[in-house]
Amino acid sequence: MKWYKFGKPSGRLIGQVDEFIVHSDSILEVEDSTAVKRVNYHKVPGEFVFAYGPSTGGLMESVGFDLFTPGELINHVDVDPNFKKRTLQVKGKSVQDALLVVERINGFHSVSNSIAFASAVEDALGIEISDEIRHTRILMMELERIRSHLEVVKRVCEPAGFGVPSNQIGYLREEVSRIISRATGHRFFFSSNGVGTVHFNANGIVPALDKIVNEFDHIFRGLLQSKIFLNRLQNNGRAHHPNLLGPAARASGLSVDARMDSGTISYKDIDFNPVLQEEADSFARFMVRSREIFQSAEIIRSLENVGDFKSADISVSGSGEGAARVESPQGDLFYYVNLEDGVVEDLKMVSPSYMNILAFEDSIVGNIFTDFHFNWESFGIWVSEIGVEIR
Amino acid sequence: MSSIWFLEGIRKGRKTEKFPKASPKEPPLWPSRLEGKGEVDCPTNAIDNNAWDSGKCVFCRRCEQSYKPSLDQDIFTVKDTNQLFRKSFYLYKLDSGSCGACNVELGTIFDPQYDANRLNIFTTNTPRHADAIVVMGVMTDGMKEALQKAYEAMPDPKLIIALGTCAISGGVIGKSALPRDQYNVEISGCPPSPYTILKAISRARGD
Repeated sequence: MKWYKFGKPSGRLIGQVDEFIVHSDSILEVEDSTAVKRVNYHKVPGEFVFAYGPSTGGLMESVGFDLFTPGELINHVDVDPNFKKRTLQVKGKSVQDALLVVERINGFHSVSNSIAFASAVEDALGIEISDEIRHTRILMMELERIRSHLEVVKRVCEPAGFGVPSNQIGYLREEVSRIISRATGHRFFFSSNGVGTVHFNANGIVPALDKIVNEFDHIFRGLLQSKIFLNRLQNNGRAHHPNLLGPAARASGLSVDARMDSGTISYKDIDFNPVLQEEADSFARFMVRSREIFQSAEIIRSLENVGDFKSADISVSGSGEGAARVESPQGDLFYYVNLEDGVVEDLKMVSPSYMNILAFEDSIVGNIFTDFHFNWESFGIWVSEIGVEIR
Repeated sequence: MSSIWFLEGIRKGRKTEKFPKASPKEPPLWPSRLEGKGEVDCPTNAIDNNAWDSGKCVFCRRCEQSYKPSLDQDIFTVKDTNQLFRKSFYLYKLDSGSCGACNVELGTIFDPQYDANRLNIFTTNTPRHADAIVVMGVMTDGMKEALQKAYEAMPDPKLIIALGTCAISGGVIGKSALPRDQYNVEISGCPPSPYTILKAISRARGD
């Protein structure tokens, strides 16, 4: 493993999966599979539990919330992401077959997942990728980030009843989906990335993206002048948590980004500094994601050498262990693979959504019911990548 | 401030496309109807005995040498419909175990390019107000009861719509949400494109 070693904790905590506690530079094997613990809360007199979910029109995915409240104030929340827990059979499959499943762990962030998995396999088999492939993958991940952030900003507008900006951002998100479709043949990048290979046509992307980003800039400025909207976000869901990841961490002033400290897909030759806010509330998370849309577009503009790129598929064979970590739109995404003659013997994935759910649970305490949706949506959590068991 | 947003909405003008009366403006290659022949090594057995079953296909491109995507987005089956739904057709979405992509694409048909509302198609937050339940994803243990209760809570007449390959056949992920003979409408794709979803749901309400 080029980028990871087994041993005592080193670097930031990324999360836990089974017996692996993963930090940014190391993997610690433990016996307790629940070493990263959640808060045990006991109902106090006068409180009742308001159950929300798992299935209701107000939620994008199936997820359960138990809200502990005396009436309006939220004293505690338990989030249950396991209602739709899927059991995915990956072990014993070829790398190509496993990739089909990996892409569908979180379809909306499929590029981050497939690139992290492919990079882990490349690490295991000692496959070096060219700068052209690395730059193409960066472009794909930044495009995915723009679409994902647009979706989160759209969903933050919805509980405020802001139909016009919400629909206008939805329009832009769909335009990004169409760019992705033209570049890869699929609106979610499926089957466009593989081990040591990538299929992507970047021709015409920059002008189309410039138009989208300019329109978003206009909407963003309008939202920053909307006092009612800002009032709903500011001081709502303050999350100062040392183990936050991704945009939620950067919104609390933590300079945390796998693009800076992971060797997997290096941004070393790209002018890039994390977008930071200090407020740590829903407003800060909205700001970080909005500003990162502009930043990602700037990164894509700088990748001038990426054109119509279709590298030849390579045969995957051999044995070894590999690990990789990339910055998905939600934060650090980690994959570990153990291969035996090209067959997946073991696969572990740590999603950033898990640590961010713990932070969300902390952040909601002291807020009221009407704050709930703004706060939940501002974290941009995807349940599909937490409620999953890999076998 | 709200007047600013009203004016912003007017300023943008009409963004909605003519589909389904006109052809899709930007259909994706994958998924679309596959045309070709021959036996291939299909991970979901979607191609068997030279026949292609769109409800099993995850559009992974492994058969690309023999089967080509045609851009045709009409990859759905409407087994039942009801004229009562023509004036208003309310959908209750239920994620039984999806990767999230179907959820996003279902939401996309309400974005300005597609504007499903103009075809009298809406979503509702409760199954008690729903004409159809849209099932997305494979069946998971935790969502069995929710799916059953949601269906029982819906008034008659009602339809069950399978959205995406996971719901129809399980795809590469697991078992389908329900047996195929229980679905009134099957919308193929992994995930289905907004064009396929919009046209299928429009047909289901009697168009």
